[in-house]
Amino acid sequence: MKVLSTLFFTALVTSAFAQKSEALVPKDAISVFSINNVNVLQKISMDDLVKYQFMEEVQQELFDGSTSGRTLKDSGVDFDQRINFFQGNGKRFNVSGFTLGISDREKFFQVFDDYEKMESGYAGVDFYESYFNRIAIRGNSAIVFRVEPSFYEIEEMTDSIWYARGNDYRYYDDWDYWDEEEAVRELEIELQEAIEEMETDEEGFNEFEEYESEENTNNPIEDGTEIVADENPYEKTYWELRDSVEMVFQADCIKRLCDELFVDNESLMSEDSRFKEQVAHTSDGIFFMDNSRNIANENYMDYMRMIYPSFVQNIDELYEDNLLLGDINIHDNSVDVDMKMGYGEDLGEIYTEMTDTKFDKTVLKYIPEDNGGFFTYTVNMRKAYETTYAYMLPMLSESEGPVSLSAITLELFDEFVNKDAVFDLYQGNVFGTYNGVKTIKTKKIIFEYDEETFEYTEQEVEAEEEMPVFTFGFSTKRNDIPERILERVARVYPKLQNKGDYWVFEDGVLNTAPLFFILKNDLFIVTNDDDLARNHSNGYGSLALNKKTAKAAKKSGMMYAKVNTDRAIQDLPARMFSDYENELLDVIRGKSGNLVMSSAKATKRNTDFKLSYQFNGEGTDAGTYILDLINSLYVISK
Amino acid sequence: MKESTDIYVILSEASYVNLYLVRFNSYGIIFAIWDLSNFEHMKYLFSFFAIGLFLSLTSCIEIIDDLSINEDGSGTFKYTVNISSSKVKLNSYLALDSLDGKRVPSLDEIKGYVDDVIVSLKGQEGISNLTIESNYSDFIFKLKLDFNSVENLQAAIKAVAQENSKKRYLEELNHNWLNYADGSLARSIPKMNIQRAKNLSGEEKKLLKEGTYTSITRFAKEVDHCDNSNAVLAKNKKAVMVRTDAYSLSQKTQLLDNTIYLKAGGGE
Repeated sequence: MKVLSTLFFTALVTSAFAQKSEALVPKDAISVFSINNVNVLQKISMDDLVKYQFMEEVQQELFDGSTSGRTLKDSGVDFDQRINFFQGNGKRFNVSGFTLGISDREKFFQVFDDYEKMESGYAGVDFYESYFNRIAIRGNSAIVFRVEPSFYEIEEMTDSIWYARGNDYRYYDDWDYWDEEEAVRELEIELQEAIEEMETDEEGFNEFEEYESEENTNNPIEDGTEIVADENPYEKTYWELRDSVEMVFQADCIKRLCDELFVDNESLMSEDSRFKEQVAHTSDGIFFMDNSRNIANENYMDYMRMIYPSFVQNIDELYEDNLLLGDINIHDNSVDVDMKMGYGEDLGEIYTEMTDTKFDKTVLKYIPEDNGGFFTYTVNMRKAYETTYAYMLPMLSESEGPVSLSAITLELFDEFVNKDAVFDLYQGNVFGTYNGVKTIKTKKIIFEYDEETFEYTEQEVEAEEEMPVFTFGFSTKRNDIPERILERVARVYPKLQNKGDYWVFEDGVLNTAPLFFILKNDLFIVTNDDDLARNHSNGYGSLALNKKTAKAAKKSGMMYAKVNTDRAIQDLPARMFSDYENELLDVIRGKSGNLVMSSAKATKRNTDFKLSYQFNGEGTDAGTYILDLINSLYVISK
Repeated sequence: MKESTDIYVILSEASYVNLYLVRFNSYGIIFAIWDLSNFEHMKYLFSFFAIGLFLSLTSCIEIIDDLSINEDGSGTFKYTVNISSSKVKLNSYLALDSLDGKRVPSLDEIKGYVDDVIVSLKGQEGISNLTIESNYSDFIFKLKLDFNSVENLQAAIKAVAQENSKKRYLEELNHNWLNYADGSLARSIPKMNIQRAKNLSGEEKKLLKEGTYTSITRFAKEVDHCDNSNAVLAKNKKAVMVRTDAYSLSQKTQLLDNTIYLKAGGGE
């Protein structure tokens, strides 16, 4: 019996230790990016790695110079195991981090040198902690993670204790002195000072050295000296109480997560067969995003669930099985991403009807071969509306309270609006092009000086400016509607003129350049491209898109997009995009090639998308491409 | 009060624009913003086409600082800012919510700020006949005021600068930029207007180099000579002009410093 139990225990330990890094991904993870071909990362420097957004939660400790000059290869990482980056927003806590294999612990902790070993309550698992994060190592696999308890739960518990102790409203002291204007002024001053401080830093100020020199060396506190608080230290302020609650909650969340991983052996692999199946793919990298849990875990949904339970249940059901799975494959001159967007049958019904339409090939005549980028988007708006209506109306009608009233609006709209006119006007076939930067004529004011007196007068002179040229259009059976509108408006505003083949609105673009409307060939087109309006109002003819690309666009399902990164992304300055958009676009910046995205027709359970980035193969290595791509996907999933 | 009426009209116009922009952002449907009675404003809605217009700058700001001094020391000050060659860029900025992570003020807010400066200046001692012409189509702004003495003018500018400094200490306000005495005028420009031009990108530097700052000083009497070697004397000998590009000025604020000596008894 003793032998048997020893054998059983040995088998259990061996089995646990034989598990790879992916087995340490917590079941609370909602998004996982897993790199299978870790060899492509061998040349990636740790300095570059920690700059990525997906490392943001666990990277603080790595900015102290310990990564300097190191690559992943020098950092004790086992290249026979996957690296899995994960994050999840659970109801009780958020968790983020990564799991990986370790081949050399000594080297590994030369990089993660802020972590100190701590007591482990789990057999066969070593624990290390830093100020923010934890590392747990089982066998040759490690998880580096951070857990943050839910803000709402912390606040709820703090409030509960605070008021139970007989305290007043927590902002009471602040409230009497609250002066909004003064607060805004102070905030602006603080912000300005912070900016100036940062600018000083950029000019050579070394924060680390400053920190080091701030140590209290002049008046060191003697060991054993008791620090006496001015007030009773046992009477906590609201904010001190909240910090205490947060610490307790965090410890509790960490314990829960570790219990699941190391006692119950529950991980995303064991709990979600879809992830297990995806990880088994032999592609260079995979990703997994469970959007249904993202939606279900939104904090506002808890409130909605309380007030409108049946409505939220319907929403949950609608987004059931909403999942994005992907495979990343790196080739010599391209990175291909195959994505499968999964959804439940109800949503699938809507998508299927929506994409049950024919591509309007007339749009291809208006896309020039010499474009910087274009997209086509083909949906059947009428069917999409009718299916959505059929689904939404009973859902809204059966909902509680005010939500059910919106069913009336929907019904009235359906009853009274001329749907034939609406959906004949806008059928759902859209296209857009970016035709590069062109020089346009504008006017500016200069001052001319009289040499006798230096008096000056204004003169309006011609000027030239460069402007990016865009075209946007959609298929329509009712061009008579916009035509009527334009005709009537032109009677009041002389700047809008009918030129026969097109309409022009002088100074229509930001008071500077003309805007053109083309109403031909069952298309309504808006553009600031002078050449298109004046010379190609019936299409570009032989100058239109080449047959191969046109065929690919026609064959795609809902959408097709092709962007020449040299001409489009590089042309457009980063400052015009938001931080979020820039994070997405960074995957393309500095690289040269074509980005092509297409979709297949939607089925009742999923739609396939394909993203292909064909690059010229210069400059950047495959590892950087894959990390850039993962970073963009991470930003989307946040 | 012409300027107040102008500003009221401009503010009313701007509120329409904002309304449309909000609608545009909310629905994202171009046709939702058609309002036939205010078709003029529709141009702002096509901010889609404004994307990337920052590329399009070919020149920058032009400033004319024009000081006329009468024999009794009173005079007229005119300050003209011409950004018409950057109007595409300005309009593009205004169509955005934020730029480089910083919030872009709305046209309303900019107009409100201009309005505040006018109100502040009007309340200053020795300042009268203040007018401002604001052309928000071409982005040309012309301030004109009469002053009883250059000391009054200087004190007024300092007071307004301090008022708008959000209570911060401005060292530059200890310095005098104008000194008119004994038949000569020493003048410079306040450094606080240009000191922020230090941390600039290459592109911004290029644009600043295309901008100009022109300082004109006029007198009732003829000018004898002046210190600044770049200064030019008008043919009637009663006006002096110094001109430099905005970038050079940002690097060397003394470029426009000048002491002008008047002819003794030189008259009309």
